[in-house]
Amino acid sequence: MKWNRIALIGNPNCGKSTLFNRLTGLSQKTSNLPGTTVDSFEGKLQNTQITLVDLPGIYSLFTNTDYEKVVVKNLLGIGTQAPEALFIVLDASNLRRNLLLLSQVAELGIPTAGILTMHDTAIRRNIQIDVNQLSEGLGIPIAVINPRKDKDLSPILQLEPKVGRKIQDTPNFEIRLKQSITGNQPEGISAETLLRYNQIDAVIRKVVKRKTKFSKVNTLKIDKILTHPVTGIIAFVLVMLALFQSVFMLAEFPMQGIEWAFSSLRSQVELWLPSATTLGNFVSNGIISGLEGVIIFVPQIFILFFLIGVLEDSGYMVRASFLTDRIMRKLGLNGRSIIPLVGGFACAIPSIMATRNIRNKTERLVTMLIVPLMSCSARLPVYVLLISLVVPVGVFWGPIHAQTVLMTSAYFAGIFVAIIMAFVLKFSLKNKEISEFVLELPTYQAPRLQTVFNNAWIKCKSFLREAGKVIIIISMILWFLSNYGPQTAMKNAENLAEIETLSGNPDSLQIKNSLKLEASYAGHLGKFIEPAIEPLGYDWKTGIALISSFAAREVFVGTMSTLFQSNEEEDVVGIRQKMQAQINPATGLEQYTPAYAVSLILFYAFALQCVSTVAVLNKETGTWKWSIILFFLYGFIAYLSAFIAYQALS
Amino acid sequence: MSRNAAEIELESTYEIESLIEGSLHQKLSEMGCIPGTEIEKLYTAPGGDPVAYRIDSYILGLRLVEAAQIMVKRAN
Repeated sequence: MKWNRIALIGNPNCGKSTLFNRLTGLSQKTSNLPGTTVDSFEGKLQNTQITLVDLPGIYSLFTNTDYEKVVVKNLLGIGTQAPEALFIVLDASNLRRNLLLLSQVAELGIPTAGILTMHDTAIRRNIQIDVNQLSEGLGIPIAVINPRKDKDLSPILQLEPKVGRKIQDTPNFEIRLKQSITGNQPEGISAETLLRYNQIDAVIRKVVKRKTKFSKVNTLKIDKILTHPVTGIIAFVLVMLALFQSVFMLAEFPMQGIEWAFSSLRSQVELWLPSATTLGNFVSNGIISGLEGVIIFVPQIFILFFLIGVLEDSGYMVRASFLTDRIMRKLGLNGRSIIPLVGGFACAIPSIMATRNIRNKTERLVTMLIVPLMSCSARLPVYVLLISLVVPVGVFWGPIHAQTVLMTSAYFAGIFVAIIMAFVLKFSLKNKEISEFVLELPTYQAPRLQTVFNNAWIKCKSFLREAGKVIIIISMILWFLSNYGPQTAMKNAENLAEIETLSGNPDSLQIKNSLKLEASYAGHLGKFIEPAIEPLGYDWKTGIALISSFAAREVFVGTMSTLFQSNEEEDVVGIRQKMQAQINPATGLEQYTPAYAVSLILFYAFALQCVSTVAVLNKETGTWKWSIILFFLYGFIAYLSAFIAYQALS
Repeated sequence: MSRNAAEIELESTYEIESLIEGSLHQKLSEMGCIPGTEIEKLYTAPGGDPVAYRIDSYILGLRLVEAAQIMVKRAN
């Protein structure tokens, strides 16, 4: 082929992404078109030097979402390099609607070749297409390909794109297109569309013969079960539970592996750069811990994206939106919001990224803003520590285990505030665009795991790049704050630690760390904010843990363990026993009471403490405004509810 | 007598007669809801809204308010 750059376009659900993945393999990379959050993908076409650009799936060049704009800008070469030729993917089972896009593209005069997919589905449905005559009628070469099953994709490489026949010839088409991406829809698009369909129907009559009974279609039979008021809802709940549970369970093992790898990395570094030296301490506790804080999220993000990808690729995801749209609408959301919200229980970061397919900007924004209220997996270790601190195993409230009740309540607290937030935002944000559903329910397909795997991996890389930078910087700052302090205080701490060491105390290293942390800037910060958090029942130690939790919530457990001079870093039992023994110097009673635990759980349930979430929110909303508002608003809700809970319970 | 697509009964085939002028006109016509096209109400979500329709040869989910923009007549 004589081309250097070819773009792949087509309707959503036509098999385009699968095809792109198979044609480019692992050579693909994402790129962001300036001014949008829509990624476009590029890769090298199988064993060639030709760049293949995957453009978002769209139905028409003329609608006003970011997706359509990206396609039009690419085709016209605005802000990016224009493709020299096009592959257009056409769904054989639904040829008529797919030809609308082709008839628009044909008017741009770019050499084009067609790839006819879903041909086997069409045949199963008794839709017969005369491919030669179709190719003749459209004036472009066409290859019949099943992107999911065909081993050999070489027919695509042999296609010679040609400038196709203009089924329809609209005056000033390119000018109209340019006008539409500026936000002013040109006049008479509906009339133009109508004319196009008339021309398309003339082509269809010649090449398509159909004698389907649609009621015999398998997808319809499956839908009768999966959208049924009883079986449909049961299936939905089961799928969501399985999704949620899998993210926890499947991620556990790789996360332990990552922790293990990092601790052995640290002990290797220790040999070369002992952590007693400043540089060694910085490398192992500043940089390596920062990296660990980023990479530890990768298994959950990957698994969540993989599973969501499987549900999407099979066609179920759209049905989940169909089922929940009615309830979501009452909250000012959209059926399409359900997936990010469920994903939020695992991790807010990929879920916020997954809101991209909500077309209405306001509905997308509201979804993004309430996702952080879903209790993510990073809160789980905090909840576990605090609940086990105040309620022993084996206590039952009625028939139910007391720890389960508290844990479930923590999750529902987040959901409850999310519903209120959605309501408040519904009435305070003016939704300028119409709320629309209009959603194609595609044919069910067996998901192609390799494609889903590739896509999930690409999203992980994007997370590592974007959020990684911020997390590492914050970890370095936290490292500095907890290792440096006013000179006299630090000196004092060291002297005290020295005495302990000389007296032969076996826990002297832990005592030294604890004393140093107390004397550090972080310790001072903890004491400085103590008056502010005292009404919530927190002492300065909790204050330090709260502050360090801003890197990531689960850091709470690690910080508490340092403060309580625990040997094992993540040993919940050890910290718990030491925390239970702590006496409040003012009252002479237990410091960490049930009121304290409930108050702190509520604080963690609501506060926006995760730097990565802030970074992603910032990127996806395109402004700092919402990150800042949410930070303070959720901080306020957290503070207020923790205050009320503590005062009422103690 | 013409009716809108929100009002038709399940599993009987109609033909699209026209679209009501409005914000969804363009979107619906791009999705293939143009006069002369076969339309059939296939099933609904729990609570009766949204509704899945067959438009020619594919399934399209529409809210009732959206379906009410499509005027239909009995298919011949």
